[in-house]
Amino acid sequence: MNAFSMYVARESGLHKLHPLTKGSLTLALLVAGLTLPGDWTGYFLVLFIILPLARWGKVLENLVRTTWSLSWPFVLSVILIQSLFWGKGTPIFELWGISPKVEGARYALISVGRIILVMADFLLFAMTTRPDTLMISLKQVGVPSSIAYIIVTTLQIIPSFQRKALTILDAQRSRGLETEGNLFIRVRAFVPIILPLVLGSLMEVEERAIAIQVRGFNSNRKETSLVEIDDTRRQATVRKLFIIIALLCVVARIAWQLLT
Amino acid sequence: MAIVDLKDVTYTYPTTDSPALRNINLQVDEGEFVAVIGPNGAGKSTLCYTLAGFVPHFFKGELTGTVEVAGSESSQSTLHEWVLNVGLAFQNPFNQISGAKYTVFEELAFGLENIGVPRDEMKARVVDVMELTGISDLADRSPYSLSGGQQQRVALASILVMQPKILVLDEPTSQMDPIGTREVFGVIRKMAEQGMTVVLVEHKVEWIAQFADRVVALKDGQVLLEGTPAEVFTSSIVEESGFGISRYTSAARKARELGLWKSHRLPVTLDEAAEGFSQALTPDPPSASLRDASRSPGGTGE
Repeated sequence: MNAFSMYVARESGLHKLHPLTKGSLTLALLVAGLTLPGDWTGYFLVLFIILPLARWGKVLENLVRTTWSLSWPFVLSVILIQSLFWGKGTPIFELWGISPKVEGARYALISVGRIILVMADFLLFAMTTRPDTLMISLKQVGVPSSIAYIIVTTLQIIPSFQRKALTILDAQRSRGLETEGNLFIRVRAFVPIILPLVLGSLMEVEERAIAIQVRGFNSNRKETSLVEIDDTRRQATVRKLFIIIALLCVVARIAWQLLT
Repeated sequence: MAIVDLKDVTYTYPTTDSPALRNINLQVDEGEFVAVIGPNGAGKSTLCYTLAGFVPHFFKGELTGTVEVAGSESSQSTLHEWVLNVGLAFQNPFNQISGAKYTVFEELAFGLENIGVPRDEMKARVVDVMELTGISDLADRSPYSLSGGQQQRVALASILVMQPKILVLDEPTSQMDPIGTREVFGVIRKMAEQGMTVVLVEHKVEWIAQFADRVVALKDGQVLLEGTPAEVFTSSIVEESGFGISRYTSAARKARELGLWKSHRLPVTLDEAAEGFSQALTPDPPSASLRDASRSPGGTGE
């Protein structure tokens, strides 16, 4: 992952797939992981589908590293909170009145599976799909350009947002903002960093809107595209299949909920 | 033929009470290179937005008078038709990157995709514009990984590739080092020589003096002064306002106060200054006394 986009440029079969094929796969995996019964579905999907796919796409290492760096704060807090504050259950051990429960830990691990699934699923898509081809293919299936633009720039903008946050952090530190120390200091330091970040971004929106309109965005002419996206009939079928799987998962879940 | 014709234009932004532009009358001929100078808050950027159609189509607000560009009138037109005639590049290059593209090459093609240029022509135009702006070696880089100066050239190229009739530039060299500035001015001059109409907002007086056909000085939303670079930059009105003064002019003014400056007119560029100072530093030949009148204030044709 370079510092400017999540996309990892590699030569692989996965990279060559049509963006929407990967998109529908991402959707199907996400829906399946969150709706299918079974507590460990998330782990299964990550282990037996996402990781092998990442290997095929030659991004396994990047995927594991980024998934971990994005999800560990959640993972840690979920495990701590769920195991420590679980009401009644079998204690794992007791020390100074703290007794983490087996049931709590189990529930935490289930939740972690879901978090990791969502992260890894999304990252696999972002790392193997070029933003421009995604935008073109979204427009080809009739998504309005402005919506396609928002989706694509959101994927692109996370790293640049991160970079801007670091700049603000440095700037505020150099004016004497304390960012290290106990939890209270860290939380207090959050406000003078997040505020300029959000306000600054809002102000940039206007200029960016002008800049893309100068370049004919929203023009009423028929658009063309620089790159051609390879598509096959087989992929189109597979895409439909993924969508159907996703729908079936939702229907099955609702039916199951109603019946029990 | 005036390709830009502003008649009595007064414009107020929706969130302010006082107008940003007051009774502006401005004509720009086809192929002319006009530079706009002025202090902060003079309305330079608003003028650019007006020429590019974003005032009033994007910013709303109240506009009176008429804005006519390339034969059509702003109030009768829509923004997406308007931008086909007028290209606008502005200060912060970072915000001019579309954010939807992965490489500089694709970034430059973004505008052409939007207006439906066929693929082969698109590629040819992108290759040409990269050569013109000297960024061919950046083609495969991410636009976000570039330096400020490189990004600014990409931003300029992304407008030039659209082949507008009029190029409106709002401080396009603000992020650049002297070398980058020279390169960008080189590109702008090339465009001007090819017959493109250029309106440039810029603080770098020495550069404007070399390239511009005409200079418009704005202050408080009004046209303060208009004329050739030499007229405007050496005028006492501009000097009193404290902006748009070349250091060569300042140096010569000082020399004149000390009674050293012999040339008839004040210099704006390095070459003019060098010539004037070489006259000042060579001992007076007898005929030089004829020019003595120029030493007294007011004798410089201002």
